[in-house]
Amino acid sequence: MTNHWIDIKNADCIMIIGSNAAENHPVSFRWVTKAMEKGAKLINVDPRFTRTSSKADIYAPLRSGADIAFINGVMNYIIENNLYDKDYLVDNTNASFLVNEKFSFKNGLYVGYNKKKKKYDKKYWRYQLDENGIPKVDRTLQNPRCVFQLLRKHLSRYNLDEVSAITGTPKHLLLEVAKIYGATGAKGKSGTIMYAMGTTQHTVGTQNVRSYAMLQLLLGNVGIAGGGINALRGESNVQGSTDMALLFHILPGYLKTPRVEDQSLKQYLEHWTPKSADPKSANWWQHTPKYMVSLLKAFWGEHATKGNQFAYSYMPKVSENYSHITMFEAMYDGKIKGLICMGQNPAVGGPNVRKEKKALEKLDWLVAVDLWETETASFWATPEVDPKKIKTEVFMLPAAASMEKEGSITNSGRWMQWRYQAVHPPGDAKSDLWILDKLAKQLKKLYKKDGGAFAEPIVHLNWNYGPKEEPNVHLVAKEINGYDLVTGKLVPSFGKLKDDGTTSSGNWLYCASYTEKGNMAARRDPRDATNKIGLYPNWSWCWPVNRRIIYNRASCDLKGNPHAPHKYVVKWLADEKKWVGDVPDGGWPPGTRHSFIMKPEGHARLFGFGLADGPFPEHYEPLESPVKNRMSKTQINPVTKVWRGAMNEIGNKKKYPIIATTYRVTEHWQAGQMTRNNAWLVELMPDMFVEMSKSLAKSKRIKHGDRVKIKTARGEITAYAVVTERFQAFKLNGRLYEQVGLPWHFGYKGLAQGFSANILTPHVGDANTMIPEYKAFLCNVEKEV
Amino acid sequence: MAAKAILFDLDKCIGCRACQVACKAWNQLPGEETRFFAAAGGYQNPPSLSPKTYTLVKFYETTVGDKFRWMFRKHQCMQCVDPACVKACPVEPVKAMTHDKKLGVVYVNKELCIGCGACYEYCPFGIPRIDDKTEKATKCTFCYDRVSNGMEPACVKACPTDCLVYGDRDMILEMAHKAQKRLKAKGRNPQIYGERELGTGCSKIYVLPEPLGYFPDLPKKPKVSEDLGLFHEFLKPLGSLSISAAVIGLVIARVKEARQTEEVTEKVEA
Repeated sequence: MTNHWIDIKNADCIMIIGSNAAENHPVSFRWVTKAMEKGAKLINVDPRFTRTSSKADIYAPLRSGADIAFINGVMNYIIENNLYDKDYLVDNTNASFLVNEKFSFKNGLYVGYNKKKKKYDKKYWRYQLDENGIPKVDRTLQNPRCVFQLLRKHLSRYNLDEVSAITGTPKHLLLEVAKIYGATGAKGKSGTIMYAMGTTQHTVGTQNVRSYAMLQLLLGNVGIAGGGINALRGESNVQGSTDMALLFHILPGYLKTPRVEDQSLKQYLEHWTPKSADPKSANWWQHTPKYMVSLLKAFWGEHATKGNQFAYSYMPKVSENYSHITMFEAMYDGKIKGLICMGQNPAVGGPNVRKEKKALEKLDWLVAVDLWETETASFWATPEVDPKKIKTEVFMLPAAASMEKEGSITNSGRWMQWRYQAVHPPGDAKSDLWILDKLAKQLKKLYKKDGGAFAEPIVHLNWNYGPKEEPNVHLVAKEINGYDLVTGKLVPSFGKLKDDGTTSSGNWLYCASYTEKGNMAARRDPRDATNKIGLYPNWSWCWPVNRRIIYNRASCDLKGNPHAPHKYVVKWLADEKKWVGDVPDGGWPPGTRHSFIMKPEGHARLFGFGLADGPFPEHYEPLESPVKNRMSKTQINPVTKVWRGAMNEIGNKKKYPIIATTYRVTEHWQAGQMTRNNAWLVELMPDMFVEMSKSLAKSKRIKHGDRVKIKTARGEITAYAVVTERFQAFKLNGRLYEQVGLPWHFGYKGLAQGFSANILTPHVGDANTMIPEYKAFLCNVEKEV
Repeated sequence: MAAKAILFDLDKCIGCRACQVACKAWNQLPGEETRFFAAAGGYQNPPSLSPKTYTLVKFYETTVGDKFRWMFRKHQCMQCVDPACVKACPVEPVKAMTHDKKLGVVYVNKELCIGCGACYEYCPFGIPRIDDKTEKATKCTFCYDRVSNGMEPACVKACPTDCLVYGDRDMILEMAHKAQKRLKAKGRNPQIYGERELGTGCSKIYVLPEPLGYFPDLPKKPKVSEDLGLFHEFLKPLGSLSISAAVIGLVIARVKEARQTEEVTEKVEA
């Protein structure tokens, strides 16, 4: 979230798209409800009518996989009807920047597409620079090569009739959404977008998010109270795990994972430290060397010295994608021998689980760390396999639940909140920290004794969390914050980190979270800040530097006057020469630095060149779609990797004419172990079900409560039919297309059992992140006889 | 202490059922074995109140005007201001169905209850259930153990949206009327339920976002059965010593029989 949970209450209009917040983030509705009590409008855009839709002023049905067409249509309307915030665009975004003359777009492809490699050469996705190397701008936004005009041209293809034919959203609802949400472009008004996995789990997932972010920029909705682009994270600490880099492509604090070409620290820093010639650009990532060296010091302590490039050679260097699908494909191909699965249950939650379970069979060993014996831990006991033929050795380590251990979680709003141990874990269950501590110590011991391939990174690993049986979690938190290695004191903030090896920090973004003043995440002061917008600055702590709303300089004009004085985030007191309110994005006086300090050009990007699949979002169909792409001849995202071969069948619309999507419900949680083992929750939702429209049920002679078969190219499952008005067919270009919906929580362990919906989903992911396309695929249904 | 009440501002209900689970957690009630969904219109389960379930959320799929609506209602004892169940309770001299008039709480004293079912028979909302195993009446206790210690009921505590609010009945009624105004301004047709029902009202106050007719399982005009008087008349000669569940069962049957005869006589006379 650029903002945070409580801040939702400050919105004048809330758009929930790609999220079922009422069901999957019920507490968020505390703040949605408060906003609505003050008159805010709630818009919900979703393929199905959910408990979220039930609260909405406007519910706009949208075919799964058509978000970009929808948002592009809304943006087009906003531009053509002058609802955008021009001052904001000029001051804070790259709308006025001139783009390279050779940049172009044709047939659904941007310039530089290499058909063989399925990759773009992005050399023309660039700004025009002046003689000083600063991007050229046209503040009138009239130059045909400026970002604004290029965007306008790109969006002009998305008129509301066209959009309606793609999305299935009735035109009058598109218009209503565009008008009502567009009204937040007025000065002093704010609109927020709440999104989740309905947005991201597509082959165009990242561009879906980008389209929302661009809409927010057009309306001047980023950096303000009640605004922002707000990802509702799927688990309580998934923000924390992302910040700490439980992903292959980043290191803690969003530093880049070294690539094979980054052989030396010097090469790495040159590659990844952005430069800016613009004196008004803070270009915050220019500090990359300080953060990287401090991280290396945290990893390898005294073994990281100037002489050995701070042990940079110990860092793994990546050459390809190591995301979930890729990993399981490699496992299936026999390239991976062992797997440690901590708190993850891919045998239920992974896409194409039949294939993923087959991949598990090829392992020599599997370590499953969880609260229960999950479907993954017992993949060898699935009804359809013969355990005698499976050689994988499975180790089960019982783990402690969140209430059984001390530590922090970081919520979607970036708030790091300390939690205490409430009860002791049952039996032999241990905290994750205990398990990792034992594992690391044993590995260090073995590598020290026996050596092995490249033993030094493990033998020299800085690992010291106290002498007790249970590692000291405070020492971990302090290491993440970082130390001044000269004085031995905790670093007060990342401004003090250095690139000479005299500081350490396990995550620069968390610098200031645990200082000599104490554990900031444990603070519980319920008083609000002076601006009274619900920042509660001394309740827990948030990154970066306790800034509750990021990019907040954009909430003011260039003199530091807030556009919304009644709910200002920050404002400049000219007499006292200081900012008040939230922690500003840098203390520089107004107008002296651009507001988007993380970008080298200091401006938010309406035209972006960071993504693999294009500077502007363009509609492509899901891998499995019942219709041809109306926007171009490029049917699917042209840079998405599609796996072929064994167990990767793709369905066609003839055999599988019905659109399917998967989702979660309030009553169950993720792959289900924590809820399908709880009798109170099992009582509420005891069985796997499939939701469908009355028209589909009628045509298939299915009645509410019947057992129904659902088939895709990957497999077949059975579920109870829920026949409901909440599901409706979509009218696309005059023809009706049915959809069904499936919760993905079920499996064959626990009190409540049922088929896993992911037997049906394909092994294909987003072009940028490889997040699986769980949300849109093709199936057929029939009554079980 | 003033009489307490709970507001159900149903427009704010997101059907998350945290209240239903919190009730079980606080009252240490087991999960029920259920199958599929008990009713059309959404995800309701279990099918009805029971000795293991004091409250549950009902789902209503409906069309109001030209707009499809999905509404939710938490269902439980209404905690009447003048409770018929207490009047019906034959246990003497201290009634098993206990009425704390100060707090406005009605709950079953399980030590005294004989499980006769008179409370269920004469409840205008059909709420109490008899546990066959323990032979005791069961129903929402208004979390008497919590509220008498200055805490709010478990369901209210769990509600994320403040659809459920606990407080003095006067204040709750004021909030209900405010909510009604808010909904009217949004073009809805709200109705307050529980303020004046049965004449003296209830301690559970609903603000229904649409008229009562859209919630067909709520009695339109709840009333205390006239049989209740007859029941007491029949009970009088028995004396308190001979009271047992079986005897009360017979009396209730006799009352029904007498009522039927009366009806038949009335018809003949007419």
